[in-house]
Amino acid sequence: MKAFYNLLKPPNHADLYARYLWRLRLREISIRLAQISLLLLLIGGWEVGVRLGWIDPFLFSSPSRIASLFVQMITEGDLFHHIGQTALETLISFLLGTAGGTIIATVIWAFPWLARVLDPYLVILNSMPKVALGPLFIVTMGAGFGSILAMGIAITIIITTLVMYSSFQGVNPDHLKLARAFGATQWDLFRKIIFPSSIPDLIAALKVNVGLAWVGVIVGEFLVSKAGLGYLIIYGFQVFNLTLVLLSLFIVAICATIMYQAVAYLEKRLLRHRWTE
Amino acid sequence: MVASSAIQLDNVSKTYISRHNQVTAIRAVSFCVKPGEFIALVGPSGCGKSTVLSLIAGLLQPDEGEIRLFGEMVKGPSLRTGYMLQHDGLLEWRTVAENIALGLEIRKEINKQRLKQAHALLHELGLGHADQYYPSQLSGGMRQRVALVRTLALEPDILLLDEPFSAIDYQNKLFLEGLLNAILQRNEMTAVLVTHDLEEALAMSDRVFILGGQPGAIQRIIQLPEEIRALKPLEARSHPLFRPLFHELWQEIQQPHSFHKEDIR
Repeated sequence: MKAFYNLLKPPNHADLYARYLWRLRLREISIRLAQISLLLLLIGGWEVGVRLGWIDPFLFSSPSRIASLFVQMITEGDLFHHIGQTALETLISFLLGTAGGTIIATVIWAFPWLARVLDPYLVILNSMPKVALGPLFIVTMGAGFGSILAMGIAITIIITTLVMYSSFQGVNPDHLKLARAFGATQWDLFRKIIFPSSIPDLIAALKVNVGLAWVGVIVGEFLVSKAGLGYLIIYGFQVFNLTLVLLSLFIVAICATIMYQAVAYLEKRLLRHRWTE
Repeated sequence: MVASSAIQLDNVSKTYISRHNQVTAIRAVSFCVKPGEFIALVGPSGCGKSTVLSLIAGLLQPDEGEIRLFGEMVKGPSLRTGYMLQHDGLLEWRTVAENIALGLEIRKEINKQRLKQAHALLHELGLGHADQYYPSQLSGGMRQRVALVRTLALEPDILLLDEPFSAIDYQNKLFLEGLLNAILQRNEMTAVLVTHDLEEALAMSDRVFILGGQPGAIQRIIQLPEEIRALKPLEARSHPLFRPLFHELWQEIQQPHSFHKEDIR
């Protein structure tokens, strides 16, 4: 308590810098407090609403029901199996989709003629809702892991190709001119100039793909799977266990946030020294 | 064959062709630069100064005529030339030390000894302490000095400078001019400077080539007197003969030139 009081105690009036820091700190604390209060208010309101009969627990469950289901599923041990399954599928399709898109972009950068040929196909594939390809994946790859991965990759690979290709083309022409004057080959240009200068765009693509890969994998699991968070959502819906649906939703939200934060951390590490022009 | 010229252009023409038009940048340009000589190319925008430089650097191929460096035909970027641009072109993701090694890496000439020489040069230019910094931590003048080290690390015989000092402040510009002048003389390098700054052209070079017209051609050559050439760039600016030369150059550039539009369809 004493430590907390010290944190809030205003410093000496004469020390302008200390007062500035103190005001900044107060602001940070007030924002955090407001965020936590909002969360508690929402959860508390939900729970109280259910207990007082304002909210139908059959449709909207309640925080206590979700929490007890969570504890039950953890003690039974199958929740981690579902989380692991979905997280693995998402991670693999996210990585393959991003890497695949970058490789395709590299190939069409190296062969401009091919880029022109493929241009309309890429535009059409990009405009198309990839989840509509689901039935095709199931008939070609079977109702399982392969189809789910295919969905996750399909949804990320085209947009990555387009973003990376335009990033490769937007490289500072002075850098290219200089490297050419040094006698650089096409391959030198790519690995020393073009790829490194496109890393900020690659990170941006990663950030978008984290979200997209979750969409692909969850939809994939809706269609075919026998395990995973998407499966739990659709199963919970079919047996009208909305507590299970909401629990799975929360877990998806938390896992997706963790992956996004991991990419944000990567961004901070990789782009430490770049300035924005 | 013993070559008496460092750079020799023989009847060189270059036309840029795009879908909508074709523009002849330079027509039938011929000149020689002796080893160790410093020439400046001046003239209005669009007279083909930078085209001449890119041709010498081997970044462009002439449509007609030929270019020789120390007697050898230019067919692509030569190991004997070093090229510097208005923008330093430092790679933001590399440290200063990594940036100055870029040219050596690309030419596969990287070794301990060459890197040591490059670092010695960095020291000489007052940036010895900065080799682990990133470009975003340096000022404009410091960045251009790093770019200079990167070019000189390749030990070129011919230095090609495309307005290298036009984006930095006046004080740094004078400082860098003096530094470059000293390095060129010590290493007996040949240099071609493209600039808009007439004072800079006169203060640094042995001869000033005035390009004009469209397509561009050499309109006149001003030979700097020995008294001025012997001086450092800063001192040259205050020599009594400097002002009259400046006015002469200014008059020459002001003259209207004949325009040839026949190439634009």
